[in-house]
Amino acid sequence: MMASPDAHQDVLFLFTEVFANGGIQRFNQTILDAFGRLGIRCRVLSLNDSTPAIAKSLKNNGHATISGFGGNRWRFAQAVLREVMRNRYEWVLIGHVNFLVLSMSILALRRLHAPRTMLISHGIEVWSGIAGMRRHAMRRVDRILCVSHYTRRRILEQAPALTADRLVIFPNALADTWASVAPTPFGRPLPSRFILSVTRLEPGDRYKGIATVIEAFSMLADESMHYYVIGHGRDLPFLELVAERCCVRERVHFVRGVSDSELIALYQKCAAFVLPSGKEGFGIVFLEAMFFGAPVIAAREKGAMDVVRDGDTGISVPFGDVIAVKQAIEALVSDSALCERLRAAGRLLVTDGGPFTFARFTSRCAEVFGIDQTVGA
Amino acid sequence: MCGILGLLTTTGTQPPFETFLAALDRLKLRGPDDSGTSREDGLLLGHRRLSIVDLSQAGHQPMESSDRRFVIVFNGEIYNHADLRPRLSPQNGWRSTSDTETLIEAYRAWGVRCLDRINGMFAFAIWDRTEQTLFVARDRMGVKPLYYSNKNGQFGFASRPGALNMLLDDGALTIDPEALRVYLEIGYIPAPLSFHRDMRKLPAGHYLLVNARGVRRVRYWDFRSIKPDPSMNSRPEGELVEELDALIHSAVKARLMSDVPLGAFLSGGVDSALVVAAMKSAGVSHPKTFTIAFKERAFNEGPAAARAAEHLGVDHVHETLDVNSLLDLLPTYIQEFDEPFADSSAFPTMAVTRLARRHVKVALSGDGADELFGGYHYYPLIDRLAPLLGWRTSNKRAAQQLLKSLPWHRTKLLAGALQSRNTVALFHYLRSVGKDYPTLLNGDIAHSTAPSETWFAQFATSFAMDLSAAETAMRLDAGLTLPDLFLQKVDVATMAFSLEARCPMTDYRLVEWAMRLPARFKLRNGETKYLLKKVLSKYLPVDHVYRPKMGFGVPLAQWLRGPLRTWADELVHDDTLMSRVPLDKKRVRELRQQQLAGERESHPLLWSVLMLLCFVQSHDARRALPVIAYREVA
Repeated sequence: MMASPDAHQDVLFLFTEVFANGGIQRFNQTILDAFGRLGIRCRVLSLNDSTPAIAKSLKNNGHATISGFGGNRWRFAQAVLREVMRNRYEWVLIGHVNFLVLSMSILALRRLHAPRTMLISHGIEVWSGIAGMRRHAMRRVDRILCVSHYTRRRILEQAPALTADRLVIFPNALADTWASVAPTPFGRPLPSRFILSVTRLEPGDRYKGIATVIEAFSMLADESMHYYVIGHGRDLPFLELVAERCCVRERVHFVRGVSDSELIALYQKCAAFVLPSGKEGFGIVFLEAMFFGAPVIAAREKGAMDVVRDGDTGISVPFGDVIAVKQAIEALVSDSALCERLRAAGRLLVTDGGPFTFARFTSRCAEVFGIDQTVGA
Repeated sequence: MCGILGLLTTTGTQPPFETFLAALDRLKLRGPDDSGTSREDGLLLGHRRLSIVDLSQAGHQPMESSDRRFVIVFNGEIYNHADLRPRLSPQNGWRSTSDTETLIEAYRAWGVRCLDRINGMFAFAIWDRTEQTLFVARDRMGVKPLYYSNKNGQFGFASRPGALNMLLDDGALTIDPEALRVYLEIGYIPAPLSFHRDMRKLPAGHYLLVNARGVRRVRYWDFRSIKPDPSMNSRPEGELVEELDALIHSAVKARLMSDVPLGAFLSGGVDSALVVAAMKSAGVSHPKTFTIAFKERAFNEGPAAARAAEHLGVDHVHETLDVNSLLDLLPTYIQEFDEPFADSSAFPTMAVTRLARRHVKVALSGDGADELFGGYHYYPLIDRLAPLLGWRTSNKRAAQQLLKSLPWHRTKLLAGALQSRNTVALFHYLRSVGKDYPTLLNGDIAHSTAPSETWFAQFATSFAMDLSAAETAMRLDAGLTLPDLFLQKVDVATMAFSLEARCPMTDYRLVEWAMRLPARFKLRNGETKYLLKKVLSKYLPVDHVYRPKMGFGVPLAQWLRGPLRTWADELVHDDTLMSRVPLDKKRVRELRQQQLAGERESHPLLWSVLMLLCFVQSHDARRALPVIAYREVA
């Protein structure tokens, strides 16, 4: 549904994708839910979503009007131009740095009632390559939301002309919807002890550290332990080969198509959630694991360090350190007191007013967009 | 430096003891000074000794711990064993000055954690009579080899695959198809692969625990995830030079531990000169150094080595050879590398070992520095090519077309390099022996095995984040090429003449420091080994330090067209022999024709094939002999 010319809406969102699995997509869903909660009208242009996907996935957000372009960049650019020129928005939220130059160029055409602009910087996409036109466009953005301290630091290193107060730490949060999902049994019998990873399995994503976990797993003395990797992608044959070479192929299970309710059962029963990834912008899966009581092992790298604090909310290891991963798993399996302490501290992050709850996320939204919460609530 | 052999039988029957002795005899050149065996329920241990530390019978192996709970066979040296002794308390005091006794007491005191405290080159096995568990370990960088096999209720291990093959399979050869593919692609067989199907090579920095429950392989040390330390960038260069110098000095000094004469290999290059300089500053007043000089100028490092020796003030010994005379060593090469091995620099290594063995029993070598400090010519190339891999496919294709249209083979190879998807693939391409040549394997093997690149990719998955392309290549070399190509070459070539080689540059403290050292101190403006050369400049004139790298090469392509022509032709046209290996005969013969015609640089791949054929031929011949006839060392 298109907005009528010169109608007043509050925020225009320019997103890569909303209705799919992935960290950025989940962030986008969460922010739309938060705006819904605040009662702010939103117009969303999503490059990669298709209209059927939107129709299927749109649940409770009556405040958002969403259009998908099925990956058609030209149609997406036309729509951005039309929206900006025809309508008055208070804010334009640029959901990905790849849209920055396009968006700022179009916005420059609007002289009167120009909206204020905000850029969301997630992680890897802004850790390098901020130069030339992109850096110039970034200087003109009113505010940059950084999902982690590492992302903020990397942007400032590349664009030192930016004033630091324009970069706001705006961490991800556990989606509100998780609390209402009831766990269902996993589709097949689970072993008594297993560790778990949830991730994409693409050749370009080997930094997720799954091969490292497989090697560490193969060194464990407990041969009744299994390893579940939830996810899919084109790197599966390589990872299966690694498991084969480490002589643990029969105890490493690559599973795709797991529903959220099944995933909850896995989080709740696993001995440890292990994702020693080297390039997480934030790592929302850590929050999910913590919410459902899984002790977490992460790499001491980049955005994940905002969530997983070593010995406090989880165990963090140097990226790629097979021996440290093995020792961390052994510690969690053998030390129930440590395990309980980490579980409890992890859960505090995502419950009861913790920093990564949906309620806190909504408050942060209201704060950065200058929204009076008493009006929307 | 010794040879070890063992067999633990949990079910089934043990082979006859005579077979065990015959297999142990295959390790005789590794340890000509003494031999020993032990037999107890289900376990056979054997040892061939090259006596270096504590020459008395007190160092005899297999050796028991002071409480008789443990028994050990050990190949190698523990350089810090004297430092460990005050922290250990053997029952009834020390019986010898041997590092073997220190090692077994260290295990008695600390268990597997003893590996964290020892500094050395080693492959050993310790049997725990109480726990009925065998503990088998290999040193951090893989200086000493160790092969093992676990099948049909028998776990066997040995310093060389030939001995183990004889022990477990009565010498029958069953080729591992994956190892064969990897060998033909990169010229050597990286751990854990072995050429024999049911055998594995224990990777560097790993141990095994073997008992009735099975075999568990554990990594105990790993340099891969060590991050370059950005704070080193802001330190004065002179400070880093001094720190590196001190580390090399310490590594060399530790390796002077010996009760027999000790010297060093000295080429005209940076690494061996640094080792010799450190020997001098560690108090060896006139170390003996050894060089092979060649009459042919293109291969002759003799004059450069002599100049370095003069500056350093050492007792230099050199032998001048006609490069073709190295071919006398071909039978030794084929006999001693008892799995296919295609690095022709083994010839000069054997020649210099033969020379050194006339004077000393231990020699220090500079191996390892190239991989740690950026010595190979392809590191700067990889740094230059890596950004091009991110080009759009259409641009890459256009560049490839252009390069292929040029008349030089090297530009065609460069076009091939541009096809690489990432840095690991690029490194693999540059290191591979076949490059753009179609596979020589039979179709079924080519389809049922994984490309060798996957081993490199797997190893690289645990590398620290944000390494440069050259740093990635150096770590791949340090973790795969160094242990299973270069250190294997040094081990086998020196053991063929019963000489112990020690490699100070593989000291783990130096390795960890090198991993923390940022890339700009390794490569700068196309200069390789930047910081290492600064250290050497303290000891040698600048013009010597910065002379072009020569390498340890032989004129392989000319040999294959000249003195080795008939030998090579006979091998590739031997239908019986060719039928023993799953190769496409037609392609192999085409390759030979192309090499003879000089159409392309095909000699590395052809040499790999010839070494494979020689290995199979020699294996078959050897199996037919009831007793292996070994040369006695003069």
